[in-house]
Amino acid sequence: MHPLLEVKDVTKSYFENGKEFKVLELVRFDLAERDFVCVVGPSGCGKSTLLRIIVGLDKPTSGAVLFEGEPIRADNPQVAMVFQSFALFPWLTVQQNVELGLEAKGTVLEERHRLARKFIDAVGLTGFEDAFPRELSGGMKQRVGIARALAIEPLLLCMDEPFSSLDPLTAQNLRDEILQLWANPDLPPKAVLMVTHAIEEAVYLADRVIVLSSRPGRMVAELEIDLPRPRNRKEPEFYGWVDEIYSLIV
Amino acid sequence: MRATVGGLRRWLRYVAGVLVLTGAVAAIVFPQAALNALQLPLLAVFSTTRMVVAYVFSLLFAITYGHTAATNKRAAVVLLPVLDVLQSIPILGFFPAALVFFVATFHGHPIGIELAVVFLIFTSMSWNMAFGVYESLTTIPQDLEAAAASFGLTGWLRFRFLAFPAAIPKLVYNSILSWTNGWFFLVASEIFTAGGTEFQRPGLGAFIAIAGRNGDTPSIAIGIGVLAAVVLALDIFLWRPLSAYSERFRMETATGREIPRVPSPYERFRWLPRLPGVRHWILARLQPVALGYHRLSLRFERSYSGHPKVIKDVRRIDLALFVVVFILVVSAGLFGLAQMFLRPLPPSAALLPSAAFLSFSRLLVAYGIALTWTVPVAAFLGESERASRYLTPVLELFASLPATALLPVIVGFALVLTASFGDAAQLAAILIALFSMQWYLLFNLIAGVRSIPDDLKDAARSFGLRGRTYWRRLLLPAITPSLLTGSITAWGAGWNALIVSEYIVYAKQPFVVPGLGSLLNQAVFTAPDSEMLLLTILTMIVVVLAMNKLLWRPLFRRASQRFRLEV
Repeated sequence: MHPLLEVKDVTKSYFENGKEFKVLELVRFDLAERDFVCVVGPSGCGKSTLLRIIVGLDKPTSGAVLFEGEPIRADNPQVAMVFQSFALFPWLTVQQNVELGLEAKGTVLEERHRLARKFIDAVGLTGFEDAFPRELSGGMKQRVGIARALAIEPLLLCMDEPFSSLDPLTAQNLRDEILQLWANPDLPPKAVLMVTHAIEEAVYLADRVIVLSSRPGRMVAELEIDLPRPRNRKEPEFYGWVDEIYSLIV
Repeated sequence: MRATVGGLRRWLRYVAGVLVLTGAVAAIVFPQAALNALQLPLLAVFSTTRMVVAYVFSLLFAITYGHTAATNKRAAVVLLPVLDVLQSIPILGFFPAALVFFVATFHGHPIGIELAVVFLIFTSMSWNMAFGVYESLTTIPQDLEAAAASFGLTGWLRFRFLAFPAAIPKLVYNSILSWTNGWFFLVASEIFTAGGTEFQRPGLGAFIAIAGRNGDTPSIAIGIGVLAAVVLALDIFLWRPLSAYSERFRMETATGREIPRVPSPYERFRWLPRLPGVRHWILARLQPVALGYHRLSLRFERSYSGHPKVIKDVRRIDLALFVVVFILVVSAGLFGLAQMFLRPLPPSAALLPSAAFLSFSRLLVAYGIALTWTVPVAAFLGESERASRYLTPVLELFASLPATALLPVIVGFALVLTASFGDAAQLAAILIALFSMQWYLLFNLIAGVRSIPDDLKDAARSFGLRGRTYWRRLLLPAITPSLLTGSITAWGAGWNALIVSEYIVYAKQPFVVPGLGSLLNQAVFTAPDSEMLLLTILTMIVVVLAMNKLLWRPLFRRASQRFRLEV
């Protein structure tokens, strides 16, 4: 039995004028069903590049990414992506945006509508099906982004700093909603992989935190966060973890 | 991003080689043509000088006009519609009138023709540049405006540190377009017949036109080769460095995942002498002028802001004057028009509606052909970095060769294609329209495909959008605004091309098709008739303006709301 996701010694370099710039070096970890993993690191450590490689949007210079034992492909419907900038199509309504992945999969019309409604409801956007993205607030836009990712019922949900362009209150609400979705066995996803630069956020959400060093990104530590859920940011244990990760990065 | 200078250089060697080879072969095979072609470098200098003079005037005009329209709200009420009309009417139609005016003013002295040519090129260059300046100045971010105001940047200083730099990217972009337009009109205007007299100034355009008229193929080839070399040299030594430089003045806060490196414009020309002394000398001479302007504008502002009552009065007088002048100009125009229409129309005026319809259909066919090939090619070039690096310079070279210069080649091609059983004149007219229209579509579309944010492309890929769904959901909606911009420009160019494409003399044989362009030509050469000339131009203007106001603008407004690329 393969783990859900295997990241095997991923290295990524860019070449400019014959010079090599290493962005990632020998990153290696596994991700199983029911995992919630956060990758943290200073800005410019290659976290986003790592995520793009993991979902197949970018190729590693060496190493490999396997999903259920097979090399990953960008259009794998078992993996869905949520973007920092939301990446909503401005000319499509909320409903059409959410149906996008289903349309590409070739899902029939009625099933498409049904699934889209279900996940629009799940993220609390009922009544906004026919709105265009520019009519929505930042938090609502990211809800559309999340509904769009969940609508294809993926096993793995990948998120690239999904809350960093939102205000703190909205971000906190969405974090709790993501945790609820993840904990709900009837709803996708089975596992979540998230990239962030906010250490507190990582400790609040993840079972496991992977810490990357600054450029080139190397794995500094892989920490199991064994705090009970729901977690309380005021507890000293919580702060113990935050401080430990902080000291690893600096 | 445009192709890098490095990639271009490699390609340049190749093209230069082909050009030299063609020239050499033509010169060996046709010694007579080669003898003729010896004067070409000199002719190229003449033609380029005309372009440079017209460009300098266009630049001054564009900055003044654009700046005034952007900063003076009342002036903008008149300036903008005027600019809008001027840039959409086919100016080539006015050339005979302008020529007659300049020639008469200078009593037939060649300088009159020279000025008429420069004037025509100027009119083809200036409108889009003026619009570019206006657009840049009205879209300066408010924060920057506020910062400039809070540091007391007014008058000259505001212009130098805020307005001018903000206008640079669009000014450079539009300058390149303007030069392409300019070449088109230069070639059309260096040799011209009006009222039975032929006016000619020595230049590349006249050389190619005469070679075409005589059906002298080797001379056509050599002439176009030299024109291509001039266009290419300007592109490499002037426009590419300048557009690389203009990247520094772009206002956007890029959120791309790789920060684009801003290249140094003259990286490849380090070996050239820098002449810091000369630069210093020029700047030192300019200093007093700038200071003078600055002092003047300061004093003006102080006295202006000091006396609110004076300001009010000045504004009132200003407005009254403006209203009076406006009413006078408009009523004079209306009076003139009424007078013309009160007289009985010439009998040939009955041809105008069908001519307009035929010309329109021809442009529509050319537009259709242009659309069918440019959309897929733009989609391919916009997405493939490597293909565009090699193909874009080639396409840009073709695009900057004016359709007027290719005219002999196109007619020759049409003749071969239709042999003796087809209508070569019809095919040639459509092909010339196609060659004038297609590049505007292509380059606008490529820019449109490039402007699709990486995030949207990533999202499309990660959700597995492919083929038809990809086109329907991402590509086509995203390029709709650029498609419309390209269409507006392409049709403008098409209407101008009509005038040269419906009446052609090739190898001493006329090729005529019925249409507005040939009516215009008839009114100028075969049967000089100023009334018909005016009526034809008027018909053309009415059709063009109607299309702009009733079709393109509404479509564009709707598209830019729905398909805007920002959320």
